[in-house]
Amino acid sequence: MSRIARTAPAGIALALAVTLSACGSSGGDVAADEKQTLTVWAMGAEGEKLAEVAEVYEKANPNITVKVTPIGWDVAHQKLVSAAAAGTLPDVAQMGGSYLGEFAELGVLEPVDTKAFDKKDFFPAGWEQGEVDGTAYGVPWYVDTRVLYYRTDLAEKAGVTKAPTDWKGLKDLATAYQEKAGTKWGLSIQPSGLDTVQNFYSFLYSAGGEIVNDEGEAVVDSPEAVKALKEYGSYFDKGLSNKSVQPGYDVVKDFGNGRVPMFFGGPWHVTLLNEGQPQLKGKWAIANVPADASSTSMAGGSSLVVSKDSEHKAAATEFITYLTDTKGQADWYERTKDLPANTSAWESGALADDADLQIFKKQMDTAKSSPSLANWTEITDKVDQAIAKVTQGKASAEDALKTAQSEIEGLVKQ
Amino acid sequence: MSTTTEKARGPRKAGTAPSPATGGSRGRKPSMGVQNAAGWLFSTPFLVLFTVFMAFPILATLVMSFTDFGLRNVTRPWEANFIGFENYVNLFGDEKFLKSLFNTGYFVVVGVPLTIGIGLVVAVLLNNGIDRARTFFRVGFYAPVVTTIVAVAVVWRFVLDPSDGLIAGLFSEVGWTAPDFLGSETLAMPSLIVMAVWRNVGTVMVLFIAGLQAIPTEVREAAKLDGASVWQEFRGITVPLLRPTLLYATVITTIGYLNVFEEPFVMTQGGPSDSTLTVSLNMYREGFNFFHMGYASAMAYVLFVVIMGITVLQLRLLKDNTK
Repeated sequence: MSRIARTAPAGIALALAVTLSACGSSGGDVAADEKQTLTVWAMGAEGEKLAEVAEVYEKANPNITVKVTPIGWDVAHQKLVSAAAAGTLPDVAQMGGSYLGEFAELGVLEPVDTKAFDKKDFFPAGWEQGEVDGTAYGVPWYVDTRVLYYRTDLAEKAGVTKAPTDWKGLKDLATAYQEKAGTKWGLSIQPSGLDTVQNFYSFLYSAGGEIVNDEGEAVVDSPEAVKALKEYGSYFDKGLSNKSVQPGYDVVKDFGNGRVPMFFGGPWHVTLLNEGQPQLKGKWAIANVPADASSTSMAGGSSLVVSKDSEHKAAATEFITYLTDTKGQADWYERTKDLPANTSAWESGALADDADLQIFKKQMDTAKSSPSLANWTEITDKVDQAIAKVTQGKASAEDALKTAQSEIEGLVKQ
Repeated sequence: MSTTTEKARGPRKAGTAPSPATGGSRGRKPSMGVQNAAGWLFSTPFLVLFTVFMAFPILATLVMSFTDFGLRNVTRPWEANFIGFENYVNLFGDEKFLKSLFNTGYFVVVGVPLTIGIGLVVAVLLNNGIDRARTFFRVGFYAPVVTTIVAVAVVWRFVLDPSDGLIAGLFSEVGWTAPDFLGSETLAMPSLIVMAVWRNVGTVMVLFIAGLQAIPTEVREAAKLDGASVWQEFRGITVPLLRPTLLYATVITTIGYLNVFEEPFVMTQGGPSDSTLTVSLNMYREGFNFFHMGYASAMAYVLFVVIMGITVLQLRLLKDNTK
């Protein structure tokens, strides 16, 4: 390579290095029992609530000061990336499953201390979200998964009393809603746009398909995936689902006014419905994702990571232990209604008794998390495009997925 | 010669120094050296800010556009490889980029004449007609300019919503079904253009009103005495005398529309099927969603060259040749 070839990137490097803080982490970490301040970043509602927990923690551990900074989800990714570039990540950070691959690739995360945390204590899908190439970087903090929300009052009108358990049942109910209960749509799923794939997962995983398999190969044109996309697309062909959904669409509102009698939602929708649509009380229910080969939903949630540059790793590990052990997780559920990632937290109290929560737990036991790949966003974008082609009637499921397959093959090889 | 002058003269040769008042220095003025030093002192804040926040990023983007700068290079920028013009070559084989270029062109070709035309008509009407409600209407047309895009998006989504929107309501009054504006590949872009025109007419209108008020009343009166009709007055006096304003408004509107980002970002995210994907939105997604920083930088420079070319062309074509 010519001289310019080497100096040009070096120029950028130098320029960026100007902003790098001089945190070479000069040797010895601070022991857990010394006096110190732990910086923690958490997003959205979690960020607000975590400050309360931190206060309780400080009382029990007077030598530790926990400084929690809440960050909005909309800016979280950019803030984390720029902090990583500048070497100013906090000691502990909350990270969504989809971020972990990227940040592991950046080399800014400390591997999880496996002596302190045991994989067996957590939902498999929760733990897998924190794993990149077999190494765990994140301790699961809370999990979520999608289940089916449906209007029981309208179902009764349509002559159906039981929740659908398979694909046929789901479609029959969607049709019945439209024909007999006079709803505008049968089921709300996203036709196109960013993250459409999140709606598609319930179908894809239940049919036994995947986008990228455990060996890291693209498998999105498998017969199972084609079957899933055909089924997904048929809802639009038959007019059961709205072909035009704009960014920012609020399904809760349409669920409330009865235009949309069914959708796939996460645990947070329970709170949204209770608070935003109180008139619906007793008129809706949740059920496990209707099955094909199995009833498998997507797994989401957040993990807690420790920054590689942190000088407070010992204290960070103790704080994370506090947040993720049985007691800490049950307490966190009380405060936020976030579902505990630690399975032992589900053994007592509301978590063990509430029928709705058991539906989530059952779904979570089999839920699948997406592989933690650095370019996962780009990979799912290709799937989004394939789904859009099918829902807009521009291509068959086979052709759309064949295109996606060849594009994704190019992306996973890197 | 003092050293201060020596120092100050260096950069001046390069044409970057603010030129000190040189001509006709009759009174007692501070010496050139002191003047230069003061000039530099006062412009330092600007120069520092300009260098850090404008010149450096512009240059860094240029350098980056010749590299394969990706996600891992965020923390290890020195590992980015120099790949010459590869990004630029790839761009022109990239269907998605070409589509976004076409979409942007469509937006400009339809949007600019509409914005300028409507802005001019509104300005003329508001400048001459209705005396009493003039201020009210001026504010009314200007309000969209100062409203945040998020609020605007909420309103327009309501207007365009195919099932219970404003237009859908009007359609159903006469028994028709409203088209699905944002969900249709052919109608999504025109819908965004209408929205952008609505948002930008106010800016152009203000420019034109200022221009109109600079036209001397004697000229108009003379024309009236000669028996010119309203239309003749408009064509013979208003338009020619407004030419500099017209040129300015056209150039800034074109540049703004070539950069169009907000409308597709909040309304459609580029969909359906990339029919509203503009170059800026494409660039944003490549850069910040996929971390193809090198590629996105190359896109930025292609857009820059396009904007520069079109602006130069407009200045040539629309400039007043009589002067």
